[in-house]
Order: sequence, then structure tokens, then C-alpha cells
Amino acid sequence: MSVAVKFDNVSRRFDTEVAVDGIDLEIQEGEFFAMLGPSGSGKTTCLRLISGIDRPTSGHIEIFGVRSENIPPNRRPINTVFQDYALFPHLKVLDNVAYGLLVRGVGKPERHREAEYLLEMVKLQGFGQRMPAQLSGGQRQRVALARALINKPRVLLLDEPLGALDLKLREQMQEELKTLQQSLGITFVFVTHDQGEALSMSDRIAIINEGKVVQVGSPQEIYQSPRTRFVAHFVGSSNVLSPELSSRCNGIEYWTSLRPEVVVLGDPGQGRIDGKVKSIRYLGASNYVSVELGEQTIGALVNANEIAAPVGSTVSLNWTDDAQHLMDEE
Amino acid sequence: MNSTTLAVRHSSPGSWLTDLFWNKPGLFIFCLLLPPLLWLGIIYIGSLFTLLLHSFFSIDEFSGLIRYEFTLKTYAELLSPANFDVILRTILMACAVTLAAALIAFPIAYYAARYANQKMKALFYLGVMLPLWSSYLVKIYAWKLILAKQGIVNWVVEGTGATFLLNSVLSLPVVGGNSLAVSYIGTFIVLLYVWLPFMILPVQASLERIPESLLEASGDLGAAPKQTFRLVILPLALPGVIAGSIFTFSLTMGDFIVPQIIGSSRRFIGQAVYAHQGTAGNIPLAAAFAVVPIVVMIIYLYFAKKRGAFDAL
Repeated sequence: MSVAVKFDNVSRRFDTEVAVDGIDLEIQEGEFFAMLGPSGSGKTTCLRLISGIDRPTSGHIEIFGVRSENIPPNRRPINTVFQDYALFPHLKVLDNVAYGLLVRGVGKPERHREAEYLLEMVKLQGFGQRMPAQLSGGQRQRVALARALINKPRVLLLDEPLGALDLKLREQMQEELKTLQQSLGITFVFVTHDQGEALSMSDRIAIINEGKVVQVGSPQEIYQSPRTRFVAHFVGSSNVLSPELSSRCNGIEYWTSLRPEVVVLGDPGQGRIDGKVKSIRYLGASNYVSVELGEQTIGALVNANEIAAPVGSTVSLNWTDDAQHLMDEE
Repeated sequence: MNSTTLAVRHSSPGSWLTDLFWNKPGLFIFCLLLPPLLWLGIIYIGSLFTLLLHSFFSIDEFSGLIRYEFTLKTYAELLSPANFDVILRTILMACAVTLAAALIAFPIAYYAARYANQKMKALFYLGVMLPLWSSYLVKIYAWKLILAKQGIVNWVVEGTGATFLLNSVLSLPVVGGNSLAVSYIGTFIVLLYVWLPFMILPVQASLERIPESLLEASGDLGAAPKQTFRLVILPLALPGVIAGSIFTFSLTMGDFIVPQIIGSSRRFIGQAVYAHQGTAGNIPLAAAFAVVPIVVMIIYLYFAKKRGAFDAL
């Protein structure tokens, strides 16, 4: 497998702020790569640097081994699905999809045939003669996808493409995107602030915060072994134990992450530490029990069939040593 | 809660009116619109109708009095070579001014919409609007001084030794003349100057409304900048250009002061109307002349509406 996109100490500064701060990153060919981070973390800027819409202030971006800072976006083998879809409002759906071929000088019959084929692929056959304004959000999203795929890009960039869709449609599109990526075999770089989306769809995830890559890894690595407090907080509903609390529980004075599903509740005095049940949230298959330990709370995910201790009662918390994970503070 | 406690809230004297309007929103809107509707209906539509009516009367050649009988004779008179020339001249000038205004306005508007920062944009608006805030007549007389034989233009041209160039332009048939101030070129320049802001502003508004992401998407899909301009920017800015052209076209067509002060003595429609209703006392012909721009504008607006020009206003 070769490297599709490589960031070599890339920075992008705007007047006063640093959007991307010395990022090193390698995205493999054919993988579904997610960039996950809070809004304003610089992930969209990263995408714009790959597509060439924006240029780095320092460092290099290599696309399939070629330094690309001086290659304009229209000559990169990369296409983008924009966050607001950016469909041309004055063109019919078919002409929107065929646009990439039009500007390359492909004749009308051929580009319309290809556009029809792509519309079929995104399940929008028969919508070609409509205007973008006549489509729903989900349909526009599919048109944007078809339009970005018509040039057969080697890398497809997706900038929070599902952000504007409602939950059900979003889940459906997540599956479809994943299937599409596997069948096309091209590299997808997906920007999102939704950790669930990133975890469920990607082969690898880069966690980005304040213009820096905090951690890169498979969804399992990211979820189970967050490298820093930030990752643990951002990626899951992980419990984060302060060094002080951690030393009381296991004698290790270190920031520790602890996933709620590994925490076992018991009678007082039977576990590592005792606490008071603060609240119980019913989640369907399980209950989320928040246990108060002085200043902090630890959440435990308990099977809904188990009889949980009532709110206000004292319980003990227990977990195995390998269930906890030590992290850097930052 | 019972209904009596709800009903006793009539405290101030005007509250029955508030209640009335609240219960009948249509009445409220009617009261709001009544004065402007009366004004428009009686003063504007009414006078337009009177004008239209007069254009179907004719004038008695011997007595010089208006004959109040419906006839198309006055309209036939419009088609006489002398009168038809006036109409053609005016429409051609309006077309030329509109075309030139669009060509000059587009780059200015493009700069303001896409590149200017906040400070430059303020300066832009000031620069475009400032001429509109000064007297129309003062501007035109200022231009007369600029374009006259002893004016600034001639002075600059002589200083740079380009006299032969100006002379060759002025020696052109029809559009040329003794000096810029008494030629069609002069009329054209001044009309262009006074109506240009009305083109720049709608074009700028329409360009500003094109989302940046559309241009990025176009480039991302492989379009070179000039393709993006032709395929995305131009079609999306066209409604703005058409909206602006409605202003420049109609204002040029109706103007009778600029050609009076600057230009050759040959008449434009506005001047013809002015002369026929004044000294000549031929109200029917003046009315028929005045109907021409209205008809032209109706046709123009019909096509402009089809192109979505009113979305950019």
C-alpha cells in the first residue's frame, strides 16, 4: 500500500491565529481516514490544504509522492464533497454532476451518460432534470457526492458531509458511504466532529485539536487507549480519573481513563472505592449510573436487567487493572 | 379563569383600536397601504392614463387645437422619418450606455464584492454613491467644462501631444463633432457617468451573493479560473447585470437634460416630449413620444423578468 497524502510538518497561519500547527500525517491509499476534532480545530483547513483550495504557509504536502504546494486544485486527482454541498444553483442536477467532465472538454452525450450512471449509483435516477433547489438535503448530499466522483478522483475529501442530515438519514448515508468506498477502492478523507461517525466508519482516525494531531490510530486504539485527556474526553463518554483519584483507587498517581462498561458496581466496601449514586439514566439496553466520589463522578454502564442501587445509596466501584488506561495530561 | 377577567383589560382609550386591528389584520394592512395606494393610483397611474389617452387624440393643423377624437394619426406621425430618427437615436444611445456601463461596472463590482476589505468597501460605497448626492445639473455643467474646446480634456490631450488622436475621433461621421462637448461621444460619456452607479450597485450585490464555496467547488472539479468565470460567476451575476441595465436603459431613454446641454443639436425622445408639450403645444404628439419608452421598457422588463433579474434587486 502506498501513501496517498503526506503532511510533512505542515502549518497554515492566518493573520493572528494558527489553524494548522506543524502537522505530520500519512494517509494510505485506499483507506477510509477520518479527521476528528472539535469545531475550529483546523480539520477543515487540513482538507482544504489537500484539495489545494488553500496553501500551507510552511511545510509540504505530498500527493502520491509529488510535492503539491504549487499545483492548483483543478489539476489535482482529488475531489471534494463540500460541507454546504456547493451545488451550482443555476444548473440542473445532471449538469451539476457532469460539470467535472464539461470543464475537461468531454462531449455532451458522453458526459450526460456518465452523469446518469453516477446518479444511478447514488440512487437518484430520474432526478437529472431538476434544479438543486428542488431537492431535499439528503438528495443534495448525494448529488454532491456523484459530482465529486465523476472525475474518478484517487482521493475523495468529505467535509462534514452528513452534518446537515437528520439522524436516520445520517445513519443510512454512513453505511452507504462505507459501502461505496469499499467498492470503489479509493481513498476517502472524512472530516467530522461526530466521534460516533468517525468510530463506526473509518479504518483510521486522526484526532485533531488546536491545529495539532493528538493521536492517530484505528477506532479501537483511539477508543480503548486514548493517549491524552483530550482524546478520552472527546472520543467517548470515558471516565477520566484525576491523578489524585487514581492514586486512591490503584495507587498510581496518573491521569487515567476508564470506560463506563468495565466498571462493576457492588456493595459498599467490596470494591476499589465507595461512592454515592447521583443519578441513573435509562438507555434502553443498559442503565448509565453516575456515582459521586467527592468532586468527581464516575459513570458505570450496567445491564438494564440488573437491579441497580437506588439514587442516594452508597455503592462500591470495581474494575480490573487492564481495563484502566494511563494518559498524558495534555 | 372566566371570560369576564379577560374582557376587563380595556384600560387606555386607544385599546379598542388595537383590539380591532388584532382581530382584523387585513384592516390594519389596508389602513397602512391606503395613503401610498391613493398617491400611486391617482397621481401616478392616473396621469399615465391621461397621457395614454392624449396620445390617441390628434392636433388640428389649422387651429393648433386638440381634437378630442380617437385616432391613430398621432402614432402614424411618430413613424415619419424625422420622428422615427429621434426614437432610433434614443434607443441606440440607451443600448450603448447600458452596454458600456455593464462593461465598466463589472470589474469594479467584482473587486468590491470579492477582494475589498471592510475599509476598502466603505470607500467603494462612498465613491459610487457620492456623485448621486450632488446636483445632477451641477455635474452636467461640470462635464461641459471638462469636455469643452477650452476644457480639461483638450488641455491634457494637447499637453501629451495626442491631439491628432482626439481629432481623428472627433472627425468620425455622426458621433463626432466640433468638440467633445457638442458631439454624441460627449453625450454618451456624460450619460454613462451619471447612470453608472445604478449599474455598479446591483452587479456588486449579485456578485456578493455568490458563495465562495461555489467557486472553490468549480476549481476542485477541474475548472480553470476562466472556466469558473464563464460557467459559474457570469451566469449567477447576470440577473444583477440585467437589473442594473433596467436602470441605465430607462434612465438614459428618459433623459432630456444631458443631451440638451452636451451634444449635437439633434433631439432625443425626452427633448422631443419637452418641446412638443411646451412651445409647440402639440400635447398628443408629446404623449405619443412619451409612450415609446414605456412600451420599450415593458418589453424589456418582460424579458428581464424571464431571466430572473428581479431576484437581484
